[in-house]
Amino acid sequence: MYRFSAHALRDLFCKEEVSAETIAQSTLKRIAHYDHQIGSFLSVLSERVMEKASRLDQKRKEGKPLGRLAGVPIAIKDNINIDGQLTTCASKFLQNYRAVFDATVIKLLEEEDALLIGKTNLDEFAMGSSTENSAYHLTKNPWNVKCSPGGSSGGSAAAVAARFCPIALGSDTGGSIRQPAAFCGVNGFKPTYGRVSRYGLVAFASSLDQIGPFTTNMTDAAMVMEVLGRHCSHDSTSLAVKPEEYLKKIEEDIRGSVIGVPWSFLDQLQDGAKENFHQAIEAYKTLGATIVDIDLSLLKHSIAVYYILSTAEASTNLARFDGVRYGKRSQRAATLEEVYDFSKQEGFGPEVKKRILLGTYVLSSGYQDAFYRKAQKVRTLMIQQFKAAFEKCQIIAMPTSPMTSFPVGAIQDPLQMYLQDIFTIAANLAGLPAISTPCGFSSDGLPFGLQLLAPIMHDAKVMQFAHAFEKATGYSHKIPPLFDKMEHSS
Amino acid sequence: MSDIAYENWEAVIGLEIHVQLNTKSKIFSSAPNRFGDEPNTNIGVVDTGQPGSLPVLNKEAVRKAVQFGCAVKAHIAPFSKFDRKSYFYPDSPRNFQITQFDQPIIIGGHVIAEVGDQTKHFAIHHAHLEDDAGMLKHFSTFAGVDYNRAGVALIEIVSEPCMHSPKEASAYAMAIKAIMEYLDASDCNMEEGSLRMDVNISVRPKGETKLRTKIEIKNLNSFNYMEMAIEAEIRRQVRLYSEKPHEDPANVLSSGTYRFDVEKKETILMRQKEEADDYRYFPEPDLPPLVLTEEYIESVRASLPELPQQRFKRYVSELLIPMGSATILINEKKLADYFEEALSVCDHPKNVCNWIVSEFTGRFKDTGKTLLGSGILPAHVGKLVEMVEKGTITGKIAKSVADDMVANPGKDPEKIVKENPDYQPIQDTSTIEPLVDQVLVANPQSVADFKAGKERAFDYLIGQVMKLCKGKASPSIVNELLTKKLQ
Repeated sequence: MYRFSAHALRDLFCKEEVSAETIAQSTLKRIAHYDHQIGSFLSVLSERVMEKASRLDQKRKEGKPLGRLAGVPIAIKDNINIDGQLTTCASKFLQNYRAVFDATVIKLLEEEDALLIGKTNLDEFAMGSSTENSAYHLTKNPWNVKCSPGGSSGGSAAAVAARFCPIALGSDTGGSIRQPAAFCGVNGFKPTYGRVSRYGLVAFASSLDQIGPFTTNMTDAAMVMEVLGRHCSHDSTSLAVKPEEYLKKIEEDIRGSVIGVPWSFLDQLQDGAKENFHQAIEAYKTLGATIVDIDLSLLKHSIAVYYILSTAEASTNLARFDGVRYGKRSQRAATLEEVYDFSKQEGFGPEVKKRILLGTYVLSSGYQDAFYRKAQKVRTLMIQQFKAAFEKCQIIAMPTSPMTSFPVGAIQDPLQMYLQDIFTIAANLAGLPAISTPCGFSSDGLPFGLQLLAPIMHDAKVMQFAHAFEKATGYSHKIPPLFDKMEHSS
Repeated sequence: MSDIAYENWEAVIGLEIHVQLNTKSKIFSSAPNRFGDEPNTNIGVVDTGQPGSLPVLNKEAVRKAVQFGCAVKAHIAPFSKFDRKSYFYPDSPRNFQITQFDQPIIIGGHVIAEVGDQTKHFAIHHAHLEDDAGMLKHFSTFAGVDYNRAGVALIEIVSEPCMHSPKEASAYAMAIKAIMEYLDASDCNMEEGSLRMDVNISVRPKGETKLRTKIEIKNLNSFNYMEMAIEAEIRRQVRLYSEKPHEDPANVLSSGTYRFDVEKKETILMRQKEEADDYRYFPEPDLPPLVLTEEYIESVRASLPELPQQRFKRYVSELLIPMGSATILINEKKLADYFEEALSVCDHPKNVCNWIVSEFTGRFKDTGKTLLGSGILPAHVGKLVEMVEKGTITGKIAKSVADDMVANPGKDPEKIVKENPDYQPIQDTSTIEPLVDQVLVANPQSVADFKAGKERAFDYLIGQVMKLCKGKASPSIVNELLTKKLQ
């Protein structure tokens, strides 16, 4: 059953060929059998999902209309609130924190009868590119369990790659959906900023964060975006526009279209990655697209700009974790100052502390002009450069990551780790929709990801081009051999 | 405190007034905005800073701010934005306040207020929207936080440093309060903290143009205390400068934040400015800029209610009420409304005003109560004055009736008069006539004066008759009899 796509599962369920309880049970069984190898989940919602499944079976029995995601198991990154459930953000600070409300995305998924199966691992507060910054455990790459699944949504990417569930939600602030999608050989989509509600997503950098899906195919991605891509009155940055018709649009032909590639920006790609990218571009030519060179020279400043703006916002977003109202309160603290100091000291990991310090520094009076304001200016210039580029093409293509997955623990230099996101950050800075779609394997069997970007609000366009590529190449459908044994499926 | 004369000094005063807007819900959440409920009952996920919560701007708060801006003839910014102001304190659920740092919604404007017998214009620098903090409650072994107030909509109105005396400062603040009340933008309940004032104050020798070091006095919630605080602070600063006449003024006073000690009647240092926090302001990424169209602003402007100054002009020029009394009436909207309701029963504005502002208000002085809260109906005050005007009762009896009205709030003065034989005026000519004769005999000089054309002698004679009858004779009959007998 694990081989089924989300839309196939839904069809089977609706046609009464399988019950929701069976789907939920087999999903839980598969997680119980295999997840110890990769550690994609922080918590599995066994009881909750069985209850939901039984209600869903009852609903089907009563002949009531079934939702667009009926019977589809979905995993949720553990920085998205499910009412009454733990939302740890992979941080010790929120070890015992139970969310007091449903995120809008959770509400929407539940309304469409999805089966929420668990909360997935991440870098603490989504800060990282390898899921190694989780305060709880490592997550491994299903293609090679010695390697990283990427991050920060490593748990969600790994869960979908290992076919624990056909869909998982992640959040993407600088590439946190796309890079792990690339590393794990699945589709990972970051919608236009404001397309999906952030209400109930624990904020890292508010002006960059966006929730999006991991899927094994573009039809599923389109299906889940039809559910999630709508205006939300609880999020003031939510786009008040009509939802796109993703399922219809992804079927459109891309013949005659123009794809832009920032060739000079890709100069330093390593041979394997370069070759893979060229092959992907060739595939598009075969599909009838024209390739043009575009100038995105400002993208070389992405990382500098990102680590100023994202940490500035994070330093204030995380200020609420002070030990006063909820979460960690240090047992050693005797005074208010100590509650603040010790709770943070004990509750936050080193990467989170580092980013809070950096963000506090760049916002301090006397430094704002040199850092925060200058970074905002560069951000504006980047948006303009993208605008100019999109006058020449409908889609921009580039690699998702400069490399394939690396062995866990291999990157110790933080700047090297930050370079992971060199190709992905710009989409967040400019608010653009962007996807990583599987595009082949390295000589040692690790997946590559192809990244596609479109102008804001053209989410369906990105998915259309990924869909065309998927149909032509079939890389999306590849399953990691370790997780493609049939014995535990029903 | 030594009493140093400061005639040769000029105080320069600016006010920051925080006014809680009386919106139904909070400025960034749907939790109710209500004072006095059980702690932590009017809260939601935004007000307690739950992870994943997001602020949504309350349109009603924006409208009230724009109303205020229109009322003070300010520029309403078509584009303003919100910023995060970072500081750690348990009353702040996110450890940052959402405020408007450098692009506020209201720019400029002014208010008009009477100070003494002068009409003054006071300039506003800007006004911005922000959220209020929760409240700390200290118990014997611990402190708790009540987040009911966290997120209540505030408008902070920052004046230019354009005031020069305690009276000017309170006149300005009262004018702001009156505008808020007329707009129904705030209940302005100062005991409950809906209107709080911070004062910035410096002094300089008259004629000096440069501003000297300023001191901030925080969190004053009564006009009286504010005047006292300013007075004390002016004296303190003048004394310090006077003690060191040869020192560079910049070295005499260091800027800082003070509070006012009501018992000691002096300002107490809370912290020096050098220790002040770096608030690390930056644009609030969770809220898009606030964009207001010209049509919207004009629609708000067109629907403004009558404002205190308009009412003041109407009272003075149409109702011929003295400026001092008019100021007292308009500064408290409810009192002015009370006055107007009384007018619907009795069309003698000047007298009704006098009864409200002096007679009744005086009866409540030092009782801790007010006319407005007494239960005495405005129509009853109107009736009382009307009875005097018609000559049904004398002014003297009216004062006794007023006493009874205070003692039995809600009781109709007509009924009070009817029930008390002492309040019945003597209508019987045969009883009054001997008294008149008696007075005429006893006061030949006044009779002569009157006949010589001195009108005032007539009033004196009436007074004498009223004295004899203990104020009970019908004034119109006394008048009539006297007139007849003096012909």
